[in-house]
Amino acid sequence: MNVLDIRGLTKKFGDFVAVDNISFKVGEGEIFGFLGANGAGKSTTINMICSLLQPSGGEIRILDRDIKTQSRFAKQSLGIVPQDLAIYEDMTAYENVSFFAGLYGLRGGQLKERTEEALAFVGLGDKAKSFPKTFSGGMKRRLNIACAIAHKPKLIIMDEPTVGIDPQSRNYILASVRKLNESGCTIIYTSHYMEEVEEICSRIAIVDHGKIIAEGTKEQLTATVTDVKDIVIELKTATGGEAERLTGLPGVRKASQEENVIRIHSDASVDNLNRILKRLMEGDSEIRAVEEREPNLEMVFLTLTGRNLRD
Amino acid sequence: MRKELWFLVRTTLRRIFRNRSNWLIYLGLPVAGVVLATVLYGSTGQPDLQVGIVNGDGNARVAADTVQFLGKLDHVKFANVTESELREQLADGKLDTGLILSAGYSDSVMAGKPDHIALHSVKGATVTAYFKSMLSSYVDNVSAMARIANGDTATFDRLYGQYSGAGFKLTAQSVNDTSNTKEMSTQSIGFLLMFMLTSAGSLSELILKNRENRTYFRIVSSPISAKVYVLSNIIVNLIVMAGQILIALFFMRVVFHLSAGVPFATMFGLLALFALVAVSLSLAVVSFAKSSSAAGAMQNFIVTPSCLVAGCFFPASVMPEFMQRVSDFLPQSWLLAALGKLQANGGLADIGLNFAVLLAFAAVFFLIAVYKFGRSDDTRNFV
Repeated sequence: MNVLDIRGLTKKFGDFVAVDNISFKVGEGEIFGFLGANGAGKSTTINMICSLLQPSGGEIRILDRDIKTQSRFAKQSLGIVPQDLAIYEDMTAYENVSFFAGLYGLRGGQLKERTEEALAFVGLGDKAKSFPKTFSGGMKRRLNIACAIAHKPKLIIMDEPTVGIDPQSRNYILASVRKLNESGCTIIYTSHYMEEVEEICSRIAIVDHGKIIAEGTKEQLTATVTDVKDIVIELKTATGGEAERLTGLPGVRKASQEENVIRIHSDASVDNLNRILKRLMEGDSEIRAVEEREPNLEMVFLTLTGRNLRD
Repeated sequence: MRKELWFLVRTTLRRIFRNRSNWLIYLGLPVAGVVLATVLYGSTGQPDLQVGIVNGDGNARVAADTVQFLGKLDHVKFANVTESELREQLADGKLDTGLILSAGYSDSVMAGKPDHIALHSVKGATVTAYFKSMLSSYVDNVSAMARIANGDTATFDRLYGQYSGAGFKLTAQSVNDTSNTKEMSTQSIGFLLMFMLTSAGSLSELILKNRENRTYFRIVSSPISAKVYVLSNIIVNLIVMAGQILIALFFMRVVFHLSAGVPFATMFGLLALFALVAVSLSLAVVSFAKSSSAAGAMQNFIVTPSCLVAGCFFPASVMPEFMQRVSDFLPQSWLLAALGKLQANGGLADIGLNFAVLLAFAAVFFLIAVYKFGRSDDTRNFV
């Protein structure tokens, strides 16, 4: 059974088409990666799934029911983990989770039980009486998740749940996502961290300019990229501008630099590694390491959209 | 839906009143308004009785002496007016009472049968009793002298001369001056109106604050609809304002003994209607504001000046006529006017127009808010 079924979904803001006739399905038990750069139409799509925006056209079905006619059922089946924290700073962790779970009709003993369960699930059981203002960024993110899962939704939408937190909290959250999935939840996951998506998502859709331009498993998507390669060169020291010197070399499609690491997106058919190294050494750059990477999601994304996910 | 609504109302009220400073802001300030009005208007002492005189008996001796005698009374201020001016100013409340001496008044007193004299008032005997008794005493004395003189002008002149020249020892007894307490209570209500508008503004700003901290979007993506959420905010607003009204009226009546001259239930009903206006206005402001700070600035821009012009802080009658006309477009002014009518012994039928205008204000503000909320496609990048 499809937990989410989107058909011909469109959203226009005046003349601007933010989401352009997209269709996709998310099956039960999937962790579905939804990737797109800023402004690609990803957030607008998610807002429409959450009934926060009215579509201009198309249909959204959750658990085979149209959210337009059965909005209450659809909302009851959904849990939202927004990118920006959506918690009350003046309420304790327990009160936050209990309040948001209460919105789904839970009351009394069941509400208490589910609240405690959700807090324990995200590792905040011992912080139930603490106020979020005393929490670290990672703890707040975990509380943000607890507020979305206490009512036991069938479909959870997680938007950048690991943004801006320490590696330990990030690992905890990723493990929680897997655990939720194992317990029967279907998850739609968006992230700017490509390695996270590769690690946990069973299927991925890439959105660009309001359209889905690719969809499939990680293997299916990377298999489509046979004509490009990624070369990563680590310099001993960087003066800046090294990547710019590589543009124009045969086969080089894009070269970007972060501190002393240069990433080169190049045609696979052109043997240009020696030329690249030579150009760098002519500029007195000392090379520490060179790696030619296997096709990955980042390469797929760059190839399909012409930009990095974080652009 | 009802359960969800009350769940939201309960949680919001708990959140508001868990913060002790909110007790002071929402429930303490109306009391402060009563205290302020008492301090500002309670120290004005006994007010002068404003009397308008229509002297239709010209320069006749007794008529002129009557006016002169009354002019010597304490706490009485005279103004010579025409009969039509008298009626108008009595109706406007500018005069407390009016004395009409028609042609033939002096002759009737000299004949021992006082006539052609009339006293008019819309404020009742409590306000005019002192003036009336002094006037009756004077007229009775003079006519008694005229009867004794029995038409002998020399005898009358002698008696009248002795009477006029005699010193009087006046023993005064204070009576409760309801006009002053009514004025104090009116100004207390004026301050209450301002605090109601302010607190309605800050409570409606919660909608924007919840948008800013994204919890609003979490709420409306749950089975709670945006309509139920806004309705819960309205109910919270009305509950808080009902509390404000009850506390302010309790302090006015029980603690400060300020009787507005209007039954409690009527006063509560009238203020509850104004609470609706305050909520609808605050929602309209919130629907236009992009942020809670912008809404706060808009509320400040609207509430204080409009209260000032409408006569919440001091009687509107002291303002220029142009400003008084402007106040016709302010709901506070219509409420205070309704209060004035009720204080002048008017019935509920007399405030029908005020009631309808206040309802219309509420309806228009609500419709503006609904229209603006309905057209919002702004999710503030919730996800």
